Amino acid sequence: MTTFIHTDTTAKSAKQGVLSRFGISGSDMLAPGALIALVLVCCIVNPNVLTVFGLTLVLSSAIPLALASLAQMYVVLVGDIDLGNGAAIGLVTTIVATLLIPHPVVAIIALAAVIALYALSGLLVQTRRIPAIIVTLGASFVWLGIALIVLPSPGGTVPHWLVLSATTVIPGIPYPILIAAAIALVGWLISMRTRYGAVIRAGGASPDAVGRAGWSMTRVRMTAYGLAGFFIVAAGLFVAGATGSGDAQSSSDYTLLAVASVVLGGGRFSGGRATPIGTVCGALAVSVAGSMLALIGVPSDYQTGMQGLILLAVLAGRVITDRKSA
Amino acid sequence: MTSTIEQPDLDRQRSFGRRLTALTSDRPWVWAYLGSVLMWIAICVINGRLSFGVVTAVFALAPFLVLAGIGQMFVITLGGGSIDLTVSNVITLTAFAAAEISAAANGNVALGILAVVVIGVLVGGLNAGVILGLKVPPIVATLAAGLILQSAVNVIAGLGTSTPSPALADFTQSRVLGISVLGAVCVAVAVLAGIFLRRSITGRRMQAFGQNAIAARLSGVSRGRVVLIAYLISGVLAAIAGALLGAFSGPNVALGDPYQLNSIAVVVLGGTLIAGGRSNVAGIWGAGLFLLLLNTLLNSLNVGVAAQDIVKGILIILVLSVMSGRRER
Repeated sequence: MTTFIHTDTTAKSAKQGVLSRFGISGSDMLAPGALIALVLVCCIVNPNVLTVFGLTLVLSSAIPLALASLAQMYVVLVGDIDLGNGAAIGLVTTIVATLLIPHPVVAIIALAAVIALYALSGLLVQTRRIPAIIVTLGASFVWLGIALIVLPSPGGTVPHWLVLSATTVIPGIPYPILIAAAIALVGWLISMRTRYGAVIRAGGASPDAVGRAGWSMTRVRMTAYGLAGFFIVAAGLFVAGATGSGDAQSSSDYTLLAVASVVLGGGRFSGGRATPIGTVCGALAVSVAGSMLALIGVPSDYQTGMQGLILLAVLAGRVITDRKSA
Repeated sequence: MTSTIEQPDLDRQRSFGRRLTALTSDRPWVWAYLGSVLMWIAICVINGRLSFGVVTAVFALAPFLVLAGIGQMFVITLGGGSIDLTVSNVITLTAFAAAEISAAANGNVALGILAVVVIGVLVGGLNAGVILGLKVPPIVATLAAGLILQSAVNVIAGLGTSTPSPALADFTQSRVLGISVLGAVCVAVAVLAGIFLRRSITGRRMQAFGQNAIAARLSGVSRGRVVLIAYLISGVLAAIAGALLGAFSGPNVALGDPYQLNSIAVVVLGGTLIAGGRSNVAGIWGAGLFLLLLNTLLNSLNVGVAAQDIVKGILIILVLSVMSGRRER
């Protein structure tokens, strides 16, 4: 196992030096670059964006997306994709809004069950060799169904501490940037500083090598999916805190936006390559792109389409950069 | 290293060959029809009488799902994670587009259908273009295309109330001797699709590509061509299904939503291998009838929409687990 870490860091540090210590490779610079460019555009349109309040406002939607994107990233790392991401976040918000105040223990068990079911779907994908697309798409309907039973129409009540932790304004420093940095740090610690973090990255790149090194791919995939479940619960908590309510359906967009964030953050769908820092930057860029579209006056009807076009543009840009480096 | 990675694939190919000889080629779709019969018996037991009306009703409702499913099947045939996630968006979009254009052209149904086919071709072309040109997995490409279509739906839905052409609406609801005309037409479409898949050179190339992409390419199958054709078929069939469904039940922004999962479900439940290379059109009809009868059964048991979603989601995962398990042996 240690060999993976060694080859990884030595190969990269030869090329990129300092950046590699944080798990950043060349294509990961795409997201920070896009982020800075987008923030600049926003500033030109409305100079107030660069104030603490402005940045807090522009980036506030980025926190749940950053968490959702990390969840997606761990699934992408093992070479799969999660189509149930948004629906599961919706389910978490309904659990939080209905159970957390009256029955905190039940709520915590329910949230733990979401994580366990995620790990279970990883087990299914691995042992039955079913494509992750179908398992997670099927699961998304299960999440939605449960969520609609838990809370048929949007509403419920969210604990005050959760609302506070999602909407706090700290003078002097934009709160969302603080949280985003913390999320990236947690993801980075898991990916780069734990055994399973390294094995998950290796498992996505070369499952056979992991098997020969004595690790069980079943456990690797379950861990990756379990981590995804963990970050989905975190994302759901933030969404519930930010909106002050639960909603089974309003989180469905996170699935697509999280995929976009992972792609923008330099993630590869062949598995093994996706970094938490890149992914969080990708998520920030995707949400700033959304804010920018609103700022420059793109009608809301066209905004989803523009996001699709931006995603395609990023993918096209990557093809060009790949050709140059190859 | 490459050879070791492909080992499981080779194993699958071998056991796939064994399964071919072990089962008759017609067998996978039998399960879908058996399931349908079981559902019908259960419905009859609950109602306490033989309800043939349920069968004809379901036959009239199935065509939309079957058309979308056949398109999805051609895409899934290619294997390697090929999937079309734009089906739901295409259906919603074309439901509106057909109504708007027919209304603008004084009820000219033909013009509406033509426009809808053009939309299908454009979406299929976009999907294939992104997959081939930008080298992204089909799932990402079709998700991105779906985002763009979603905007198109928002825009067209914002135009105002769209009333579908009465002539098309009459056609989707017309029955001869109690049997849906559209249902009969879609049986014919399924037969044609089956012949195209099994007998035409293009159809066989698609299957060959799904069975072993490398071998197929070495024997002269162009990847670009089969990908383009599959997504064009899927786009056009989903577009037509959308126009018909819009005429049948009136366009609304959530009209296509269930079709994202269901179009894949009918393909998988119908015995088509999700890994590609082995497809079955007859099974799509069987699975379409099965899903709709299951809906009817759950409705008559007063099971809510939410619980129906759960049942369907679990059912698809279970069926796949069992089917993949058989393939493993």
